[in-house]
Amino acid sequence: MDERAPRAPGAPVATSTRPIARQTWGGRRYTLEVRQQPGWPRQALILGLALLGGLLVSAVILVAAGVPAGELPNEFVVQTFFDAQNLRAVLFQAAPMILVGLAGAMSFRARFWNLGLEGQMIWGAVGATAVALFDVGPASLRLPLMFAAALVCGLLWVLGPVLLKLRLGVNEIISTLMLNYIAGNFLLHLLYGSWKDAKDAFPHSPQFRLFERLPEIGSSAVSSAIVLAALAASLAWWLVDVSRFGLYLRFVHANPRMAHAVGVPVRRVILSSVLVSGALAGIAGFVVTSGQEGRLTQAFYQGYGFSGILIAFLAHNNPLAAAVVALLVAALFVTGRSLQVVYQVPFAMVQLIQAIIVISLASSDFFIRHRLRRVSAGSS
Amino acid sequence: MDVFINWLANTPDFTVPYALAALGLILTERAGVLSLGAEGLMLVGALFGIGAQLAFGAPGVSLVLAALAASAISLLFAVMVILLRVNQVIAGLALVFFCQGLTSLVGSMFEWTNQATTGIGTVSLWPLSELPLVGRLFVQNAMVYLTLPIFALVAWFLTRTTSGLRLRAVGENPQAADAAGISVAGYRFAAVLAGAALVGLAGAYISVVSTKLWIAGMTGGRGWIAVGLLIFARWSPWKALAGALLFGCIEALIPQLAAAGVQMPQYFVLMTPYAVTLAVMVWVAMTQRGASGEPGALGEPYVREERR
Repeated sequence: MDERAPRAPGAPVATSTRPIARQTWGGRRYTLEVRQQPGWPRQALILGLALLGGLLVSAVILVAAGVPAGELPNEFVVQTFFDAQNLRAVLFQAAPMILVGLAGAMSFRARFWNLGLEGQMIWGAVGATAVALFDVGPASLRLPLMFAAALVCGLLWVLGPVLLKLRLGVNEIISTLMLNYIAGNFLLHLLYGSWKDAKDAFPHSPQFRLFERLPEIGSSAVSSAIVLAALAASLAWWLVDVSRFGLYLRFVHANPRMAHAVGVPVRRVILSSVLVSGALAGIAGFVVTSGQEGRLTQAFYQGYGFSGILIAFLAHNNPLAAAVVALLVAALFVTGRSLQVVYQVPFAMVQLIQAIIVISLASSDFFIRHRLRRVSAGSS
Repeated sequence: MDVFINWLANTPDFTVPYALAALGLILTERAGVLSLGAEGLMLVGALFGIGAQLAFGAPGVSLVLAALAASAISLLFAVMVILLRVNQVIAGLALVFFCQGLTSLVGSMFEWTNQATTGIGTVSLWPLSELPLVGRLFVQNAMVYLTLPIFALVAWFLTRTTSGLRLRAVGENPQAADAAGISVAGYRFAAVLAGAALVGLAGAYISVVSTKLWIAGMTGGRGWIAVGLLIFARWSPWKALAGALLFGCIEALIPQLAAAGVQMPQYFVLMTPYAVTLAVMVWVAMTQRGASGEPGALGEPYVREERR
């Protein structure tokens, strides 16, 4: 392709770049070139600028929504990370975030768009709640049983879409999303029906007993959920970065056909990876119900699906990076809640800010991989 | 019998949003741009339709403004996928989430939520509307009648005009189209903006004409169902209309059965549109022989001279 691109005779050709299109804008000529190996300082600079741009746009919207501009750094940084109570709230919020982020990363690594994280969370929570409501097993084993039920239910809810995708080629984006709506309605069916709390007749399940709730660690008032999430993150890291399975997964991600040709069991790798994703999302549902709410509620899952996808995308499907990004998203959630209380900013703002940051970072990739170079006049 | 006639008479009202949204998506995707943002653009149309309705009170103006608003927002998506070559799935999802956040924010900040509006008048197709029993079928709002010419126009444009042919060429094989001197980016931009206008119109129909008020997240997955419809319709407008009619029938049946006193678990009934979408997709996958009708370059960014 290089040969066909018009190039000035004798013009210096950089070894790391390749001109791919030449256009005339405003009377000057520019070439668009692909950078083969963008250096990390440049990458960091462009990513930083994109992040800054996204944050600036978000700040403008926040100010327009009625938050005093001078209070922004205070609300977002000082209040969130340097206040013991809020920091605990961030860690509290981070546990399910890390789990859904890992769930997103595991499925995206297999090139499977699992947009059904919320549905799998719902089923995980329903499974855990069923164990609690029907008193399955002795009290001492209750939490492990709830955990196992959540894992299995989340896994089963993604089994259908992944089998349909592998066997019939059914588009998983639509199938997993449809299953979210189905799970959501099923949750309402339970909560407005047989699982309604008899005490206050509100559409949520009865309160879990103490031994059905994730305990706090010692006297630190930090929920053990974060330990669970950290364990899941290290396990996922081992799975994708150390184990043989992770190597297979990388093959499949890079090129399924080639992977098949060199003997990687492509279908089995995709299936396992997506099932792990569903199981993680199910566990996230368990963590929210048992660790945060203490009962099954109507809308506990909302927003996690998108955040999971966003975390996986921003972390480039890397489990450890996902844990860090999840922590930041959790901080955004905590800040969003406090802005809602103090300045009556709708909580939808949190989703908008997340979307703006994804858009700016996704777009910045173009500037990392290409450069626009002005060609001196008359050189063509 | 009365239930049956009521059901048929209400079906068009539920069909129009699916039909217009699917048509807009066909226009965009035939140019090779995978458009997952429909759910978000429908919300934008629905919100701005109500906003304009509260400001001006003229349904015609509101619908047009809503379509323009969706088109304007889709410019962001167009720049991302056509100029900056962001992964089209990521860009589409980001657009949906951006629109969800934006619309709930704007809706609650301007206090447009749950504000009742006047809606749109009905037009009787005389003399058909005077027929006994089935006369009610021919008393519909103007948008229902308008949907058919819009479909005819888009179908005619895609299959019978040079521009339509070029648009499809860009979607099937951008390299060849580019070599033939067709502006790939230009056609794709136009297709995204025009398609978004139709999708926005579909959303505005739900809020301005059907429910006559705005609630955050009110489209309830109809945009995603429309995306699923394209697979069923093989990216062809008239088949999409048939598919939309199927979903319209199902959605119109739910309140009729409830009104007739049929006892059903409410939330399982509310699942049906989603379950049917899933069933239809599985059915299509199992029975499909030969080409799926999917545009050849769907989802692939194109830049001249880039190695593929």
